[in-house]
Amino acid sequence: MRFDLIMSDNVEKYIKRKVYKSTSSRIAQKFVDAGLEKIRACINCGTCTGGCPSGRRTAYRTRSAIRRALTGDESVLKDIDIWLCSTCYYCYERCPRNIPVTDMIIKLRNIAVEEGHILDSHFVLANKIFYETGHGVPATGDNNKQWRDLRESIGLPPLPPTVHMHPEAVTECQELMKSVGFRDLMDNVERKKLQQKEEAEKNKEG
Amino acid sequence: MTEVKKEIKVSGKEKPKIGVYVCHCGINIAGVIDVVKLKDYALSLPDVVLAREYKFMCSDNGQSMIKQDIEAGLINRVIVAACSPRMHEPTFRLTCKEAGLNQFLFEQANIREHATWVNMYDPEGAYEIAKDHVKMAVAKARKLLPLEVQKVQVEPACLVIGAGIAGMNSALDLAQEGYKVYLVERTPTIGGHMAQLDKTFPTMDCSACIITPRMVDVAREKNIELLTYSEVVDVSGYVGNFEVTIKKKPHYVDQEKCTACGACAEKCPVTVGNEFDLGMATRKAIYIPFPQAVPGQYTIDMDKCIKCGICARLDVCEPEAIKYDDKPEFLKVKVGTIIVATGWDLYDPTELKQYGYGRYPNVITGLQMERLLSSFGPVLGKPVRPSDSKAPHSIAFLQCVGSRNFREGGNQYCSRVCCMYATKQARQYKEKHPDADVYIFYMDVRAFGKGYEEFYESASENFGINYIRGRIAEVSQGKNNNIIIRAEDTLLQEPLELEVEMFILSCGLEAKADADNISSLLSIQRSADGFFMEAHPKLRPVDTLTDGIFVAGVAQGPKDIPDTVAQAKGAASSASALMAKGEVEIEPYYSVVIDHLCSGCRSCQSLCPFGAIAFDEFRRVAVVNPAMCKGCGTCVSACPSGAMVQNHFANFQLNSIINVAIKESSVENGGK
Amino acid sequence: MSEEKKFRYGFFLGCVAPNRYPMIETSIRAVFDHLGAEILELEGASCCPAPGVFRAFHIPTWLVIAARNLTIAEELGVDVITGCNGCYGTLRDAWYELQHEPEMKKMVNEHLAKVGRKFKGSIEPKHVVQALYLDMGIDYLKGFIKHKFKDLKVAVHYGCHIVKPSDKRPWDGEYECPTFLDEIVEITGAKSIDYKDKFMCCGAGGAVRTAVKEVSADFSREKLTNIRDAGADIIIDCCPFCHLQLDLGQMEANNIYKDMIGEPFKIPVIYLTQLLGLSFGIDPNLLGLIKNHDLKNVSPFIPVEPFLAKVKEELT
Repeated sequence: MRFDLIMSDNVEKYIKRKVYKSTSSRIAQKFVDAGLEKIRACINCGTCTGGCPSGRRTAYRTRSAIRRALTGDESVLKDIDIWLCSTCYYCYERCPRNIPVTDMIIKLRNIAVEEGHILDSHFVLANKIFYETGHGVPATGDNNKQWRDLRESIGLPPLPPTVHMHPEAVTECQELMKSVGFRDLMDNVERKKLQQKEEAEKNKEG
Repeated sequence: MTEVKKEIKVSGKEKPKIGVYVCHCGINIAGVIDVVKLKDYALSLPDVVLAREYKFMCSDNGQSMIKQDIEAGLINRVIVAACSPRMHEPTFRLTCKEAGLNQFLFEQANIREHATWVNMYDPEGAYEIAKDHVKMAVAKARKLLPLEVQKVQVEPACLVIGAGIAGMNSALDLAQEGYKVYLVERTPTIGGHMAQLDKTFPTMDCSACIITPRMVDVAREKNIELLTYSEVVDVSGYVGNFEVTIKKKPHYVDQEKCTACGACAEKCPVTVGNEFDLGMATRKAIYIPFPQAVPGQYTIDMDKCIKCGICARLDVCEPEAIKYDDKPEFLKVKVGTIIVATGWDLYDPTELKQYGYGRYPNVITGLQMERLLSSFGPVLGKPVRPSDSKAPHSIAFLQCVGSRNFREGGNQYCSRVCCMYATKQARQYKEKHPDADVYIFYMDVRAFGKGYEEFYESASENFGINYIRGRIAEVSQGKNNNIIIRAEDTLLQEPLELEVEMFILSCGLEAKADADNISSLLSIQRSADGFFMEAHPKLRPVDTLTDGIFVAGVAQGPKDIPDTVAQAKGAASSASALMAKGEVEIEPYYSVVIDHLCSGCRSCQSLCPFGAIAFDEFRRVAVVNPAMCKGCGTCVSACPSGAMVQNHFANFQLNSIINVAIKESSVENGGK
Repeated sequence: MSEEKKFRYGFFLGCVAPNRYPMIETSIRAVFDHLGAEILELEGASCCPAPGVFRAFHIPTWLVIAARNLTIAEELGVDVITGCNGCYGTLRDAWYELQHEPEMKKMVNEHLAKVGRKFKGSIEPKHVVQALYLDMGIDYLKGFIKHKFKDLKVAVHYGCHIVKPSDKRPWDGEYECPTFLDEIVEITGAKSIDYKDKFMCCGAGGAVRTAVKEVSADFSREKLTNIRDAGADIIIDCCPFCHLQLDLGQMEANNIYKDMIGEPFKIPVIYLTQLLGLSFGIDPNLLGLIKNHDLKNVSPFIPVEPFLAKVKEELT
């Protein structure tokens, strides 16, 4: 009998110790506090995932996202999956328990952002592009000249009569965004993202 | 049985001696308010000579307390401050009666449902309300007068509406006990939906084999007057004395002369969809619904008949039974009890566009599948799919279609039988085609009855039926009219796409589309789910809230055949109890005319919803029939001369309550 | 004083239409003008804000900015029309929520008050298609048809937010099989063909395109495959973002998924009012269908000339 078998690889490979430790869901409580307690009516029938156009090409599972929120699996806030929902609303329309599923996913996204879990591309879109121009897809700036030229080529003024032609409107939007807490949210998110980056660096080194 | 004492004479003219009994009702009342304090408050009211409190007034001990006080001559009015009179008013009335006090000298103050239960976290508020209730009850008690219950005869005959498995069972039970039964069925044959089923779960008995003997029994039973192709059009009266008008629709075929030879149908040129086979087979304009129909005589569907005259020819109908000039006949009968056994409609899944019913030919309902499996159905028991009449190699069922749906306008309830009928149909299909792939898409499998779980287990183990836990999101049509299913296998957490050749929607059961008609005809209620409402969900499952009218079968709520038969027998038993006694007591809340005040204007008569008021031409005054009066109070409020008085709710009694209620408002006493 | 026109609307532009697909903006203006409607500018309007991204980041911000946009129209006393499903989704859902949740309305107005605005809920946000189909009606539109297309097979793409959430839309709860857009298309003589998963999402919205472009490109790859398999000549849509996803998205799918798709896609993508405008006899220049520039890397990315060539006969 050989006692010198190297066992460490197998331990790594096969020992998982993944036993789900059920705790009360902090996330579910947030839903209840926001008046979205309807999420608790979910019976996991799977109609939402069954018709999801994203689910059949990605790892996003609508039903699982809701379930993870209800059972308190915090990793749902960190996964990219909930950002792969295209908000087509089929789940909302077909849920037999009449749960507004899409609205629940949106709320889940809100909670994720609050805790600093947002893609860089989205953060730039919110914090820079939207906040600074008032548009999600702007036509101002040097890198957007061809769009202004395109407008002119079909007889339109180079900029539309939106915030683009009314700087006071941009200021007004920014006032509102400050008032409703968007500015603070962005600043907090920036801080949290920085923290996450630093921790990720630390873990890499260690 | 307790011996009822001879009644103590109380004329209403002597001083009221009121006894107030405050019940703790365990912690229901005593856990919220101070019952001793309430008892003392009661004692402080004028005309209250004694007040007690006890844990459970409805118990033997509690009742004895009251009896002793009555028998000792201490009180001649009783008030129990406790639960709702709907719970125990009869109990305490009987207590009074047994002790020799007229039972209508009793009043119940509801300090549970109206005070402590609705103000569980506000003891002070609850106490104020409880005080008010006691005060008002005392005010009424002062003005109570002794009354006599009415006794009316009960006609020993029963009207059973609906001749499906429930109606037939009730009718047979009652007939065998010796009662006359009018069994009214709207379609030309008895048997109902059960006649459409092929096999029944879990025994796989052939449905027709077990129901047709009963159908024949019904036809043969002397005490049953079978009125098929008939409808109830009017019901008036009250328990024990219902006057029912039944319309016998014209068959246009003489039911005595018709020998059911079928020659007419053979020659009839008009072919239409057959309702019994849900449009998957045809019948002629002159038809019987299915071969084993009872009665077996033919009927002409006049809406489709083109009156060509062929069936009436002597060389076609030898017995000369055709009569185009047939007219409806109206029958008036008197019955003592009515049993409603009107059954159900299948949910129509057309509105669920994601499942393609009505657009894709190979999507059918569970009932259509049943007809396909039936040995006397459109394909004689060899199921094929609609698009190409070939037996499908793969079929899928979807459960909970039209049930357990909390969306706007959806049926929220579970229809109870679909899990089992789908399993049954799946198994039958596998028996005929062992190589076929059979799938059942479910949210939960409900196999609750005797032998059901075993049946479900066998479906998986012995027949290889694939149960997939996932409600189908949508289907589309692929090549060859195949159905492509999109669902999630929730147990694998993976979306799936499955192509099958036929898709069966296990639709739920719904109340019949015209249930509202029956509701208003009989003055019975419907529950939130649309089925007829039972008097109490636990303890009175076959009674309705209208005395003398009972409900049985799916008319009361979705259920399987064993439960339907059990309920039918229960309804028959309840009806029989009423009819066996021969008389029934009616509460004396009827109105009485004070002759010298009546001006003869007849406003009351024209307004009475129950037709209980007649006019005495000689004395020129209105006269109330106490037995028909329901005590609704309409005539009392309408009478311009104040000549109408309602027993037990007379104006002077009600004014007494109102005066005392508004005199000292709780605000003065520092209440909320 | 000029006679007030029967149809008066405030035109909400959004972002993608004016700033990336201005031909959509110009064709809407041309068609509504032609139909006798008056279009007022909503000066200073901002991003609606886009439902998939900004509502996902912070719902209260989304509500407040959306309400601000609606107050611009309220001040003019006109209903809003928008040619974008996303803007329609935001403006309509926000409007609906504020009508039904008094607490929300109060919160929003507290913020709006700081900039001198107040949301009243006095005007209705409508989609261009809603104005055409429900306000004006098919019969009214038929009266303007000058040219009818023969043998033009159209794959109609509704998109998602024009019909869902159905309880907040004016289509009587219909969302599985709507027909209104097909009906409008067919008055031009074009044939709306059936194709697999016709009502599937294009994949742009819900922040997917800005999250992982390849995922949104797979949506459009699937949709374009189905459209091509059904033999469509062109795609008609009623949303600039869907339009972008199906137009620029063809280039993306041709690139990212070239191994899957066989031949590269090249199906012209046309906005509803461009097709309608042609059928009404409006000059294609006014509909943004003629390229009079030589800018690089601008829309449309899939040339529309083949479409114009196909219908040339009917238009002369």
